[in-house]
Amino acid sequence: MNVISHGDSACEKIRGYLDSYISNELLVETNHEVLRHLEGCPTCAAEVEARSRVRTRLKAAVESQQVPAGLPIKIRQMIHRRQSRFLPTAAWSLWAMAAAAAVVLAAGIWVTRARTGMPESLDVADRAGQDVFIQKVSQTVSRVLRVGLGDHIHCAVFRRYPKNPPAVAQLAESIGPAFQGLVPVVQASVPDRYRIIMAHQCGYSGRRFVHVALSDGSNLMSLVIARKEPGESLEGLSPSTRASGVPVYQGQAERYEIAGFETAQYLAFVISDLNAGNNLLMASNLAFPVHDFLAKL
Amino acid sequence: MLFSRERRSSEVEAAALPHLSDIYRTATRLLSDSTRAEDVMQEVYLQAWKSFDRFETGTNCRAWLFKILFNTLHHYRRKWFNIRMVKESEEVIEQTAAYAPPVPERITDEEVLAALAEVPDDFRSVVLLVDVEEFSYKESAGILNIPIGTVMSRLSRGRKLLRERLSGVARSYGIGNVTQEGQSA
Repeated sequence: MNVISHGDSACEKIRGYLDSYISNELLVETNHEVLRHLEGCPTCAAEVEARSRVRTRLKAAVESQQVPAGLPIKIRQMIHRRQSRFLPTAAWSLWAMAAAAAVVLAAGIWVTRARTGMPESLDVADRAGQDVFIQKVSQTVSRVLRVGLGDHIHCAVFRRYPKNPPAVAQLAESIGPAFQGLVPVVQASVPDRYRIIMAHQCGYSGRRFVHVALSDGSNLMSLVIARKEPGESLEGLSPSTRASGVPVYQGQAERYEIAGFETAQYLAFVISDLNAGNNLLMASNLAFPVHDFLAKL
Repeated sequence: MLFSRERRSSEVEAAALPHLSDIYRTATRLLSDSTRAEDVMQEVYLQAWKSFDRFETGTNCRAWLFKILFNTLHHYRRKWFNIRMVKESEEVIEQTAAYAPPVPERITDEEVLAALAEVPDDFRSVVLLVDVEEFSYKESAGILNIPIGTVMSRLSRGRKLLRERLSGVARSYGIGNVTQEGQSA
């Protein structure tokens, strides 16, 4: 243990102030007293320098430590997993939800179709009529965002859905082996009230798509994924959010909201008749897990 | 309420993830174990997600996360180490050590961190919060749930202990063998 043997009581008093002096916390008078002492006392002046040096070196040493590269991703995944654990588990609530969903979905699909802006007289089997409608709707949106919009309208809006959507396992099977893991990822990343009502691979305007459609009974939403064509990218647009760590870009075409994100190989779009904020939120929630899934393909 | 949980996840990511490195390095310095620090980080962010309703937007998210960190560390220390907290009576020893020994001018990060690791937890916590993370005394008191006066006294003693540990490094270089003015070596 160190023993005080400094004979100068003035030095001892001043040394009691030095940490506060370095932190600039002293009252003006005390500060002047310290300054006056330091001018005439090289030992205490050296002590100030040494203490300042320790603080600087400590901060630099602690801050030199890097966060492990995988930790932010682990934490994001943990948050998303936690979110998915809030899906109802009690049997009674599942039955209640299923019953309610069946009723609401039947009514909702009718509402959805009525709200799409599709002319009532247009036959869903009339491909030429669909194309005219899609062209008209798409004209205000950037070319790269049209990729997903066209398939959403063609494949999800112009469609009659069965009263009871297939089970998740069946939907996973219908989307094909490479993408079957996507179905539970999507289901876990959307609000509990949303059910996947369709999952498949489809084609529109000469391109192939992986398409997952969801509904909460009143709103229809698609996740549309397409392999990139040469030079195709969302990077020319300004991202609307990076909340998930994946930049998400946004556009609007009449009543459809579009949000897109990308991997090196794929473009992914979330298109719905939700308002802009909620569609972006949906896309933001889907962006990280879907990006993660696609990046591993 | 439809989007409440999903919005919460996004908001936690947006508000809390930028502070990840600050919290991680503090956890690592307090546990002296980066693997355990990673476990603690996951718990901190889980607790942040769970209690994000109670976080007031516009207030200091960083301080709120540090408070969660110290609560979590308290739990983990008891679970892993059964660590004995420093008692005020033990602090009296430090009060007698008014002399600040010489600290070497050239010292590596590893030596600084090794010296810091030898400072008892309660003092190290305050030194990290104030001198590294630059929290005010009031913020540090809120984070640690102790009075401001205790923050100040622990800070003073923590700094002094750190200097003493660093002077051990100086002595290993032969610097401390030189008798200083007014000091009995």
